[in-house]
Amino acid sequence: MVNLKINGREVSVDADPATPLLWAIRDEIGLTGTKFGCGIGMCGACTVHVGGQATRSCITMLGDVEGTEITTIEGLDADDNHPVQEAWRNLRVPQCGYCQSGQIMQAAALLTDIPDPSDDDIDAVMTGNLCRCMTYPRIRSAVREAASANRGQTQNG
Amino acid sequence: MAKNKIMSRLGGAGKATALSRRGFLISMTAAGVAFGFPRSSYAAMDPQAADGVPITAVGDAFEPTMWYWIDTEGRVNVNIIRAEMGQHVGTAIARILADELEVSWDDVRITHVDTDEKWGTMVTGGSWSIWQSWPVYRQAGAAGCTALIEAAATQWGVDASTCTARDGTVTDGTNSITYAELVKAGISRSFTEDELAALPLKPHSELRLVGKDVTALDIANKTNGKAIYGLDAKIDGMVYGVPLMPPTRLGSQVLSIDDSGAKDVKGYLQTLTLDDPSGTVPGWVVVLGETLMAAKWASQQINVEWNAGETAGVSEADIQAKSRELIADASTGAILPTETPDTTQAFKDAADTLEAEYSTATVLHFQMEPLNATVFQNADGVWEIHSGNQWQSLILPTLSAALEEAPDKIIMRSYMLGGGFGRRLNGDYTIPAALASKQLGGKPVKLVFMREDDVQFDSVRSPSVQKLRMAFDGDKQVIGMEHHAAAGWPTGVMAPSFLPKGVNDQPYDVFAIDGADHWYSVGAHQVRAIENELANQTFRPGWLRSVGPGWTNFAVESFMDEAAAKIGVDPLEFRLNHLIAEGYNAGTVPDSVGGASRQAAVLERVAKMSGYGTADLPADTAIGIATTFGQSRQMPTWTAGAVQVHVDRETGTVEVQKMWLAFDCGTVVDPDGARAQCEGAALWGLSMALYEGTEFEDGNVRDLNLGGYTPLRMIDTPEMEIEFIDSTEVPVGLGEPGTTVIAPAIANAIQSAVGVRLRHLPMRPDDVLAALKA
Amino acid sequence: MFKQICLGILAVGAIGAAGFGVYAYKPAISPVTAADHASFPPEQVEQGRVLVGAGYCATCHTAKGGEPYAGNYAMETGFGTIYATNLTPDMETGIGAYSKDAFRRAMHEGVARDGSHLFPAFPYDHFTKMSDDDIDAIYAFIMSEVKPVRTTQKENELPFPLNVRFLQAGWKMLFVDFGEYETDPDKSAEWNRGAYLAEGVTHCGACHTPRNALGAEDADQKFAGAEIDRWQAPALTAANASAVPWNAAEFREYLVKGSTKYHGIAAGPMGPVVHAGVRELPDSDLTAISIYLADQVGADDSDPADSQIVQASLERNAPDRRYRQAEGERLYTTACAACHYNSQQINAGRPDLGINSSVNQNDPSNLIQVILYGVNSHQGTEGVVMPGFRDALSDDQITSIAAYLRADRAEQAPWEGLRGSVTELRARGPGTH
Ligand code: FES
Ligand code: FES
Repeated sequence: MVNLKINGREVSVDADPATPLLWAIRDEIGLTGTKFGCGIGMCGACTVHVGGQATRSCITMLGDVEGTEITTIEGLDADDNHPVQEAWRNLRVPQCGYCQSGQIMQAAALLTDIPDPSDDDIDAVMTGNLCRCMTYPRIRSAVREAASANRGQTQNG
Repeated sequence: MAKNKIMSRLGGAGKATALSRRGFLISMTAAGVAFGFPRSSYAAMDPQAADGVPITAVGDAFEPTMWYWIDTEGRVNVNIIRAEMGQHVGTAIARILADELEVSWDDVRITHVDTDEKWGTMVTGGSWSIWQSWPVYRQAGAAGCTALIEAAATQWGVDASTCTARDGTVTDGTNSITYAELVKAGISRSFTEDELAALPLKPHSELRLVGKDVTALDIANKTNGKAIYGLDAKIDGMVYGVPLMPPTRLGSQVLSIDDSGAKDVKGYLQTLTLDDPSGTVPGWVVVLGETLMAAKWASQQINVEWNAGETAGVSEADIQAKSRELIADASTGAILPTETPDTTQAFKDAADTLEAEYSTATVLHFQMEPLNATVFQNADGVWEIHSGNQWQSLILPTLSAALEEAPDKIIMRSYMLGGGFGRRLNGDYTIPAALASKQLGGKPVKLVFMREDDVQFDSVRSPSVQKLRMAFDGDKQVIGMEHHAAAGWPTGVMAPSFLPKGVNDQPYDVFAIDGADHWYSVGAHQVRAIENELANQTFRPGWLRSVGPGWTNFAVESFMDEAAAKIGVDPLEFRLNHLIAEGYNAGTVPDSVGGASRQAAVLERVAKMSGYGTADLPADTAIGIATTFGQSRQMPTWTAGAVQVHVDRETGTVEVQKMWLAFDCGTVVDPDGARAQCEGAALWGLSMALYEGTEFEDGNVRDLNLGGYTPLRMIDTPEMEIEFIDSTEVPVGLGEPGTTVIAPAIANAIQSAVGVRLRHLPMRPDDVLAALKA
Repeated sequence: MFKQICLGILAVGAIGAAGFGVYAYKPAISPVTAADHASFPPEQVEQGRVLVGAGYCATCHTAKGGEPYAGNYAMETGFGTIYATNLTPDMETGIGAYSKDAFRRAMHEGVARDGSHLFPAFPYDHFTKMSDDDIDAIYAFIMSEVKPVRTTQKENELPFPLNVRFLQAGWKMLFVDFGEYETDPDKSAEWNRGAYLAEGVTHCGACHTPRNALGAEDADQKFAGAEIDRWQAPALTAANASAVPWNAAEFREYLVKGSTKYHGIAAGPMGPVVHAGVRELPDSDLTAISIYLADQVGADDSDPADSQIVQASLERNAPDRRYRQAEGERLYTTACAACHYNSQQINAGRPDLGINSSVNQNDPSNLIQVILYGVNSHQGTEGVVMPGFRDALSDDQITSIAAYLRADRAEQAPWEGLRGSVTELRARGPGTH
């Protein structure tokens, strides 16, 4: 039994501790917004936040996240209105959308660490997230837009 | 023309009219329209709803055609038979309808329907969706609008011609009434075919939704995790399965299975050897578990002994050698019905000739969502196939054969696709899931391909070899051209009855040759398509984004630069000199009206955008150009691209600095969606030009995951400029054309930057270095 | 944790057997009853709780999945496996029958209540430096707060003559400098407090000081760094190979959080040292230890953020579009950079690998361990994890990433035998830390 907090909710997961966190989240906890792409940590589709850090859940073992706080795309914002989500909608980033939960979680974490990222910063951090629909130009713009939305918020309040 | 026949059978050109006729039989139905069969789970999918469940009509809905209904609250539900895989196709189609129907966009919802015979051919590919839907949904919208105006006029006792409709309300200047009220009052109206044909459609100037900015209905749920993909399918009581794939795609046989090692794996259920009457997955073994990982861990402990098929030792080099051998043998292949297919005289008369060979490596789809399917038999005895799929009509007969059930006992639920790119045109991945469920007496089985399994089972883009020749007269004028192309044939393998015949009565796969039959006037022009049997036996060749034109145009457009160089003319000028809208290249109404002149126009546009020929560039830096007609002569999307590259002579690295693209796709229905498709397509082109490619080794591909397969990523994404030519012509497809120009434009740019010609895709730094050294 | 603490062997012949017998003989101390340790002042118990944490006693006295302090934790020494004893106040199988004096003797002299010699896997060579007051506090805590658990002690798997406890006395005689910590009058009170803790209860040298062939800490090489359980315990001296010196602030951050921006994380055997205890110590004590250790390293107080090395490493983070050229750089760019990238400054949650201790050390073990097996929520920064890549990357791929980091990010001479170390550490499997 592994205990953790996911999207603010305490859960105990009764699964083999060697189970990838991804499958525990999707199949045991039932949150399917987090996606499976490569299973080897190189596409980013499975990105969630563990302790606030973007983490590839496909290669993270359930047993290793005992006691942590996890956020998935479903819990990023109560109203699905995180600045990153807003920017994503404004710029119509998603195509098939399959990679986008991971992209958004990665971008949100990026902006926490580097609130005003340069293009180099965006390239370096977001390159781990594959988008087969090639929405990269829009992701780049949307990260910038979300960053300035964040800045606006700080200035205003 | 042969091609037209094919397309109509595939659900192509001719189909539009057929669909519309069938669609207009009903005048009105009761509320709560059911799709397909009575069943325990929801069949269709609304990408806007959090649970995917479509809205149901309030009150008695008005359903003037099967393509939509309007309920007593004025909500319009549009039925979409196309798969949603990133094109926002439902949004674009619904806008076509809503525009003619004169309803507010806020009242529009879409439903991706499940399979039912009444929908006709269900396929999403070839960049056809908008092109085919345009006439059908416009007519459907116009019919509804006419019926509603007539109903209002009757109520008021005025002449219908004095009434207009706008935003779901009819007025005659004095009275006004909403569609909701009209539907509540009850409408009964049907149209004869002649009436339908005579329905006035709005002129372009009055289009209020088409061509205007809109937020696609599927986007919000793709930013919050609520969009539902095949992998998210959940059926009560389902068990998980993972495949143990045989050593060869075809011809393998299971000799023995030892699962004793798996017995200790908690949650392991059993191992099935599939018995497949459809012959789709010979030699397959599926391991079942209570959880996915239980199945996966168990599968690692199971020993299977196989008899491999004949292709167990086949390599990429073998396949390419076979192509070369076939090209060298003039008796092979089909000769396309170009204007002057006999080039004998031209080459006999030639004062000079040019010849070059181009080749491309195997390319994977690597769509982000690995293949998966969930299958079970529901309480009504109907087999439900829950999966994302692009060509339901192609796989349903195969499912019927595999399950040994009548076609009307099988239904597919349309999930969002985590990428299609042509992989999901081939629905073969649903078969093992169906067979496993069948062996369990219809119990729900969710079969998930791990990425490595997905790749090994991919319907890859076949490696190809092409030989191009050109004949010049004494004045350096082009008098003949030949294009010989050999590769595995996707349609040849998966839908052989759809192959048209060439002038030599041999069948050919349009999807393995489209593009070679270009719009340049080159005198005698022979295009020969050759099927590589060894490729077909080794793997299931796939349709991969832009299909044939993705590699035929690499050859054509590289060769055009080579030809221009040969006679000392600038490549842009050379192309423009030969893009003449005459004869065979004049184009036909409505789809290719304007012909080669429209291709010349996009080329000139992109030259201007990019500063081709005038830009002052640093050393080892150059802009290359290319132009194509997208996917096929029947549905040309006039496309041109320019790419600026810098080549690092030390390392051979090609840095793509900027790309420019210009398109003439007729009417642009959804401008932002159109742009998104072109961005994605162009970057796919770049990815396949420089970064993507694997090779067959011992009967299967070498690179099974991202450790070795290296598609384009954020860091590789250059700046892009994309423009569309203003046009009111028929809208044609945009999902793929952007892909086709990039590789040749890059090859041409490398040539002008550092003087070396690369003729193999992908063009890797080592290839550049080797060419520089040679 | 310490699976490789070595045991001593005694050349009995070196000493007259009879004389040795006198030296080695320790009498039993009479057992006490539960009633004898019925109550302790709460302040003393609290002091004990903190010290038990600082000594991370639970780590070695708790078997995997077993009751806390109930022993039977397996320690693989270079000489054989020995099993930790039951530290709960159980009367028969634990230390319930120990009087305060018996417990003091055990801590100071390494002798059990019954007079038998304890193996030096139990670091009495450090605990001997502790004050009676502190030892009594630990006694108070165990007797009043730890739940008694009855166990069956597993037999140590040591060959003869190592299994002869009597002979351990000789090892003590040769290698242990018995007696409480002596204040160095030339140093500050804080420094002395730090030294008292670091050399005593937290027994840093047990891992960070190399051992001789007989498994005893080599006094001449105090804190020179050593291998422990296939991890490298880095040198805590001027020889420390870190890119940026370990100053007191860095040590402190590390001991409090389990990670520092400029060095790395507490993983492997160091994980529980921080997480299961040292950081329980009061602020002043953590500062004292940090001051003492920084002095051992010889670091000044400059802010690492201003260091040239840090700035240079940040510059090397800049994404390079030619990243595909070398496999290591390509894999790093696609699989690692998302988390490890920094630009203007080093972010706490984004370890910069150019200056990371694991990349700068002379031995690649720590880096390989972390790449293979990741960092769980109880190592490094609490609640943050790094996934392990053992099922995702091949040995060749891990080797190429490590070689890239070493050459291009840390700009250090290549590690020899890197590929072999990867294979070996994979074959070994994850530790039980
Ligand atoms: S699925 Fe986890 S990184 Fe690809
Ligand atoms: S939107 Fe389709 S993979 Fe990114």
